[in-house]
Amino acid sequence: MSREDNKIVAFCCQHSAYQVANKAGRMRLHYPDNVRIIRVPCAGRVDVQHILKAFEKGVVGVLVMGCQEGACQHLTGNTRAKKRVKYTEDLLKEVGIDGGRVKMVNLAPDMAQRFVGEIKEMAEKIEGR
Amino acid sequence: MEVRARLGIFLCDCGKSLNNIDFSKVKERAEKFQDVVYVGLSSCLCLKEGLEEMLSVVRQERINRVVIAACSPELKENVFRKALEEAGLNYNCLSIANIREQCSWAHEADVTDKALELIRMAANKARLLQPVERKDTPVNTEVLVVGGGFSGMKSALELSELGLRVTLMEREPVLGGKLGEFEGFYGFETTPKEILSSVREAIEGNKNIGVLTSAEIIRVEGEAGNFTVSIRRGEEKVSRSFGAIIFATGYTTEILPQDFELKPDVNIISQRKLVEMLEAPAGLEQRPGTIGFVLDVSDENSRLPFLSTLNNALAVKEKLGSEVYVFCKNLKVDSEGMERLYREARERGVVFLKFEEKPRISKEDGRVKVEARDVLRGEEVVLLCDFLVAEEKVLPPEGTQTLSSMLNIGTDSRGFYQDENVYLYPVASERRGVFFVGGCRGDSDLARASTDISSAVTSFIRLLSPRDVMVEVKPQKCRACLTCIRVCPHSAVKLVRVETGEEVAKISGVACDRCGICTAICPAKAIRFEGYADEQILAEIEAIGESL
Repeated sequence: MSREDNKIVAFCCQHSAYQVANKAGRMRLHYPDNVRIIRVPCAGRVDVQHILKAFEKGVVGVLVMGCQEGACQHLTGNTRAKKRVKYTEDLLKEVGIDGGRVKMVNLAPDMAQRFVGEIKEMAEKIEGR
Repeated sequence: MEVRARLGIFLCDCGKSLNNIDFSKVKERAEKFQDVVYVGLSSCLCLKEGLEEMLSVVRQERINRVVIAACSPELKENVFRKALEEAGLNYNCLSIANIREQCSWAHEADVTDKALELIRMAANKARLLQPVERKDTPVNTEVLVVGGGFSGMKSALELSELGLRVTLMEREPVLGGKLGEFEGFYGFETTPKEILSSVREAIEGNKNIGVLTSAEIIRVEGEAGNFTVSIRRGEEKVSRSFGAIIFATGYTTEILPQDFELKPDVNIISQRKLVEMLEAPAGLEQRPGTIGFVLDVSDENSRLPFLSTLNNALAVKEKLGSEVYVFCKNLKVDSEGMERLYREARERGVVFLKFEEKPRISKEDGRVKVEARDVLRGEEVVLLCDFLVAEEKVLPPEGTQTLSSMLNIGTDSRGFYQDENVYLYPVASERRGVFFVGGCRGDSDLARASTDISSAVTSFIRLLSPRDVMVEVKPQKCRACLTCIRVCPHSAVKLVRVETGEEVAKISGVACDRCGICTAICPAKAIRFEGYADEQILAEIEAIGESL
């Protein structure tokens, strides 16, 4: 299976993760090109249906990337996102899609290395599935 | 009536620098996307020539939704939006595909296919974008400042300078606060009392500031831009409306009984008592020969007790000429100028002693005996002093808990306001339109309080500027389950009665900070966040993996 069929969707909070992704680009930190970033106003905007829709479209990994815990612009957005990610993970397990294909990541706006690391980790995980 | 989308896609190769994207292929394929009437390539879309060209195409082709494939939206989104408004388009009819930072720059190999998919995602979203209205939500511009100390008075003055009406509330019968309790700020010409009286005079002569003394808050309702505050003043109760509330309720100091076995008396005194002595040295029967200070007894202390200790120790040296000993665990000089004060105190002969174990304090022949082990010299020290200035803890003032539960705002571990996300909101709280400045945020010196005040005033001005209605509840779908009211981090949602007589949730345009938490959580899917509506996000996802 080619890499193009192994897509990853990353929902990125505009206050942190989306900026991290830009920073990684500016630093020319290369990461797998099968990731598609969707900008959201806060990780708390990401709903279970959005994650499930991605899987329905054949995406094999979803990352929800928000601010560091305790530093959410909207105070509780990242913790709500974390709960929803957990809930979706359980749903996926029930239908036989193993856990770990959807993951919550907390980032500060300068954590470009960590961002790239998370994407690579997810890319490796789904390649070896 | 739905107008059919006419999409214009504008590609920008950023000065021909995005070499790993084959733009001619992108252009050719993008032309086949649904509803696309135009695809153009520019090398400088964000510059004057590029923008002008884009606008003439938008007009010519009657384009009503624009997709721009260029750099990251936070860089030039506002430039593009402004330009499109010139062409008569609503600024929300723009969707940007980030093909530079998150595509060309992020990968080494040829990423033409990825760029195409990003553009298709943006186009899918653009098709569903709705124009948004910029509404001037009526905002009450009068501000309530709670607390008539230095921070409160200064906040009122700064706001009044901008022409805003302010009501300044104080629990005590007179304005003043804690500032008058300081003897002096060493090295400054003006004394705290002079600062205080000049600020108070400015308040009294200001027609924009109304002062309510001996007044207390009993209830706060409403949201940013429209708070209703019930105030009790003696027997009378009034209800007033304000756009924002600035709390400057300050702090209180207390000698904790668990810190000292002996109760404060003639010899064991507070800083305040010492200041009274320093103000009227003539009233003393005899000049005290030795004065001791004990700090840091129960736990590590904060900056305010150190600041007053250093200032007062220097004042004692100057006015009374007594010997001064300061017992402390760790000396903290984290306020501006404190290092200098500390050095000066040492030069003037103030002796600092560092203890690890709590000093033993007893009375002997009408004097106070302090026994401690000075860890730096490794010796037991016994000091007989005429006066011992006991450590005072800086604590939140009485009523802080009541107010915080009334406002539904959290406090930190010491009971002060504002522990929530101090990185992003230095003076704001969970509730938009409610600000905290000065001592009530924990111990704060004058410099910090002044920064807080300016910050709060700026935040309030931002609150007043017109905003667009982006997040709205559809009344016919709302089941009034109150979930949104519970989850909104900015207290921006309330229940209102609509024409049909039913109660539905309504989001205040002023208080809303557009996070979309309510949109995601609403079980009835009754809340729509334009730009990040469900169908718009889903449409973006829909584009992934479609054959190009």
